[in-house]
Amino acid sequence: MSVATRAEILSTLARGGPALRAMATIVDHEIGSVARTFGVLARHAEEVLHLAAEMVACVENDKVSSVLPKVQSLGAAARHFTTSRLEATGGILEVVSAEVKLLRQLAQVANGQQAVAMEIKALSVLTNIEVARLGSVGMGFQYLAHELSAFSKSVVEDTQELATHTEGRRAAIEETRRVLSAEIPRLRHELMRIESDLKDALEVVAESLTQLATTPAKFRGCVEDIARQITAVVAAIQSHDITRQMNEHVETAFALIATRLSGAGDTADEIAQELPRSYAGLRIQIGQLQTIEETVTAWTSQIKVCMKDILRVSASEVSAMGRVVVDQERKVSAQLACIELLEKESQAYSEKTRHSVQGLTNLMQLVREHVQRQQSVRDRLRMLAFNSIIEANHLGTKADAILAISKSIKGISTTWSEITDQSAQALKEILALVQQSNEVTEAFSQSSTDTLLEAQAQTRAGLDGLRDAATFTGIRAREMTLATEKMQAKIKEVGATGEVLDEAFARSAAVLREIESLRLHLEVYYPWVRQEVDPQEAEDLFAAFYTTELERDVLRAVLLQTDLPAHQPSLAGNSVELF
Amino acid sequence: MKRILTVDDSASVRQMVSFTLRKAGYEVVEAVDGKDGLGKAGSEKFDLIITDLNMPNMDGIQMITAVRKLPGAAFVPILMLTTESQAGKKDEGRKAGATGWIVKPFDANQLVAVAQKLVK
Repeated sequence: MSVATRAEILSTLARGGPALRAMATIVDHEIGSVARTFGVLARHAEEVLHLAAEMVACVENDKVSSVLPKVQSLGAAARHFTTSRLEATGGILEVVSAEVKLLRQLAQVANGQQAVAMEIKALSVLTNIEVARLGSVGMGFQYLAHELSAFSKSVVEDTQELATHTEGRRAAIEETRRVLSAEIPRLRHELMRIESDLKDALEVVAESLTQLATTPAKFRGCVEDIARQITAVVAAIQSHDITRQMNEHVETAFALIATRLSGAGDTADEIAQELPRSYAGLRIQIGQLQTIEETVTAWTSQIKVCMKDILRVSASEVSAMGRVVVDQERKVSAQLACIELLEKESQAYSEKTRHSVQGLTNLMQLVREHVQRQQSVRDRLRMLAFNSIIEANHLGTKADAILAISKSIKGISTTWSEITDQSAQALKEILALVQQSNEVTEAFSQSSTDTLLEAQAQTRAGLDGLRDAATFTGIRAREMTLATEKMQAKIKEVGATGEVLDEAFARSAAVLREIESLRLHLEVYYPWVRQEVDPQEAEDLFAAFYTTELERDVLRAVLLQTDLPAHQPSLAGNSVELF
Repeated sequence: MKRILTVDDSASVRQMVSFTLRKAGYEVVEAVDGKDGLGKAGSEKFDLIITDLNMPNMDGIQMITAVRKLPGAAFVPILMLTTESQAGKKDEGRKAGATGWIVKPFDANQLVAVAQKLVK
């Protein structure tokens, strides 16, 4: 064993100490920075969690969950509203078609009346001629002539009124038929659109509600994750203190080895006597440095992983809640707007339908009055015919012409009676039509619309709540994004710190390599250094300044030539022992 | 607000103790070694002291012994927070007047729980 070898060992140890100290200074500074950054990061994480908690509370509120049944009710009401109107429109179209036939019949009645009026007028003229011919004897028939003239005039007027009205009605009916014919396909299209849109809206609402329903549980998972990560970082940063102490103790051990070797004397024998202890000390420090390296790798990577996870958790689905609620609100709003438009268009259409039905009622009234007048005319014609026949018979052959006129009046009365029956029959049919149209137009009644309006009002109220929730979650989501961006900036800072730490720890690795190389040198050139050193003596020598159980375990493993302890300081943290 | 004194020569450990306890609603004062801790414990009132064992100038055991002699600090709970886990060291701490022992790194939740238990 030469003095040169001792000098080489001392030189290596002299380089190792300051290198480890320099590393410790840099690491201390950087870990301080990491701890401060972590403090800020944790505050941002808390801010994000607070915002997320508010969002979760918001979506757990009834305002959001009650929208689905409201949209379902609205859909059912809109579907019923449209279906009933579609059926009613078909029914009204049938009524209108039947009315067209009736109007044709009434036109025939008017034509028949027209003919009768002409005939009565002719009989009135003939009666006047006969009264003039009979002179004083025929004076009694003047009333007949006058009555016939009045009848003729009245029937003409009545017929004209009926003809005018039926003609007007026919034109109106054509317009109604045109509107109804166009309305049916439109309603069918609306119905299909409602079905499709509603299905779409309900799917969106149901899907987003399902998504939102799982969010609170996910959020609680996030809270637990972040809490776990924060706890892990707190423990990892503390682990630095353990490696710092271990590092200091390696440095102290280097100084101890150097002092003992320097003080061993200058002869080769004296140096050789101390060398096995130095060799054992070097091996222990190699073990300690390897353990430090592993521990440092564990806690630095733990810090990096935890911080990334905190960021990942913060930008998770919880922040997407805002978008889900906004989408839901948008979809329901669009659906409600469509149904409101349908309802408004139907209002205008209902007005036209009501107008059409009113026209039929008016026609019924007119025909009823007309039939009453026809019956009155029929009765009076019968009476007139009866009286004039008696009077003519009383006068004998002189009044043959009058008798013939009277018989004609009787014939007209019969014809008139038939026309009256036709009118009465038409009236009956109109009555049935009015009843039918009243039934079908029930679909257009206010009570029917009220059901839809009620569903609309409820959906609108639900939508207001949803809109509030969407606004609230939207704002919170934006705030979360800002907080997350700040966290990202902090994570970047930690990333730079990680590089500095890696560089600093490279110094420890370099020291380890040098000590390893020294150990190999000793083993190759002075194999006798491997002779056993009393473990208790070595422990007393090197473990005196140890402050962690890990260091003692490493020392024993090296001395007993067993594997180094695999255990790392628990990153979950240790519990408290109360005395 | 309840006040806690944390004594440790490691800045990062002091930061972690402060971070954990402040988050739980405590006011935390930091001291860099036993001497600094003793000075603060003598001049201010604390509801709990958490101290490291191995520190320059004055170690944790010496500080606890001295703190226990301070008027008004005899019954303040004191937790040792150290890398040491040897039974002998723990016994030393107990004899000096420590209330409990935590081996570094501490579990943040458990530290808060024990603080809540000791600080009433």
